[in-house]
Amino acid sequence: MRAELAKNLLLGRLGTSDLHSLLPGSGPVTLHAGDKIMVAGQKLAHVHFPIDCAISLLVETGDRPPLEIGLVGREGMLGVPLILGARQSSESGVVQAPGLAWRIEAARFIRCVHASEPLRRRMQRYAHVHMTQLTEAAACKHFHTLAERLARWLLMSADRLQSSELALTHEYLSHMLGVRRAGTTLAARGLQERGLIDYSRGHIALLDRGGLESASCPCYAREKQQYESLMR
Amino acid sequence: MVNPPAPERNQILKALPRAEREHLFPHLKHVEMPFGMVLYESGAVLRHLYFPVDSIVSLLYVLNSGASAEIAVVGNEGAVGVSLFMGGKTTPSRAVVQSAGSAYRLSGTRLKQEFDRHGQLLNVLLRYTQSLITQMAQTAVCNRHHGLDQQLCRWLLLSLDRLDSNELRVTQELIASMIGVRREGVTEAAGRLQKLGVIRYSRGKITVLDRARLEALSCECYSVVKAETDRLMAPHF
Repeated sequence: MRAELAKNLLLGRLGTSDLHSLLPGSGPVTLHAGDKIMVAGQKLAHVHFPIDCAISLLVETGDRPPLEIGLVGREGMLGVPLILGARQSSESGVVQAPGLAWRIEAARFIRCVHASEPLRRRMQRYAHVHMTQLTEAAACKHFHTLAERLARWLLMSADRLQSSELALTHEYLSHMLGVRRAGTTLAARGLQERGLIDYSRGHIALLDRGGLESASCPCYAREKQQYESLMR
Repeated sequence: MVNPPAPERNQILKALPRAEREHLFPHLKHVEMPFGMVLYESGAVLRHLYFPVDSIVSLLYVLNSGASAEIAVVGNEGAVGVSLFMGGKTTPSRAVVQSAGSAYRLSGTRLKQEFDRHGQLLNVLLRYTQSLITQMAQTAVCNRHHGLDQQLCRWLLLSLDRLDSNELRVTQELIASMIGVRREGVTEAAGRLQKLGVIRYSRGKITVLDRARLEALSCECYSVVKAETDRLMAPHF
């Protein structure tokens, strides 16, 4: 199981002593699509480090479907507020692609972060990466076309799952992108006609990664480069 | 010369225990923050942390095309330059003074020395960072889901809270560039608010006449951000 844990890039790159202090009482959990593992405004009981699943960070507003403002997979973790000394998150976390995550109790996580300077620094740096992603999310949603954002979203999902096959409906994609279904269908058809993806009933295959990267807004490359430079 | 405003007008500095304030305050430099001053550019390495006392700073995300969008506003409730202690080498946003006033400035070197003393400063700053994250997330939603009229109300309320005032010196061009829309749109939205008797607009100055009504007309994004900021910055958190 320890080998599984290392697939999460944050845990995998920790020093042995930090890992030893974090592990007691923790373990892998299977997450199912649609599971809400973090509820906005509620005290966090656990921190999740995705291994091969993807979690959408959603902001819920009154009458609209929730809007996705971030996507977390093996490069990250759910529970940033705990790093910053808060106990609850203002976003919710819903499983987008099922799989395994390593789960650690919030109390232990907080204790360890306080006790180890290297761990605290590393986690704080991840919180910074998370904030950078939010910064971009706000601007990206505002300025970039739906086709660009769709290409970016598909690439981000594929990276987080390490797979070029995604199980998704147009309806779901529309929620994530904050647009109408008809718009998503049109944008997906556009990418399909350019030979970049193959779409069929709840399933999207990425056919041409390079092509998708050119079709995406610059936010994709920018975010990836920022992550690498800070979290290596 | 007039005395500069007390550093305690900034909520972060005020939240520190007295002994820590006495130690820290001599290292703060009071600086003027004229309208339009750029505190740092996106991608820059930061040298100072700013604690606004009676000014407002906009954090803008700058796209490769040069277009920009506001992702957060910082005033006397916060600090500008959180990347300094979060461990990011550079900052992802540009910080520009949106409402003139002043701030207290602390050098990055001094900040590091303060952290090594293990006082409350880092804890308060981290909690503020969490409230900033809430504001950014909510701004993303607001940009996507809410109409210009609602966004304008939210923007006015967040800005006014950060000044503790009911008056804002601001042009419609500036509001338009912050919300990321055309100026004509802001003129129309502000006109509607003026007709309702909620604000008075004259030559680069907006006065709020009916604050309760302004809150009612705003989308929920304002109250979400306000509640979370109040909660995280409360003295007895």
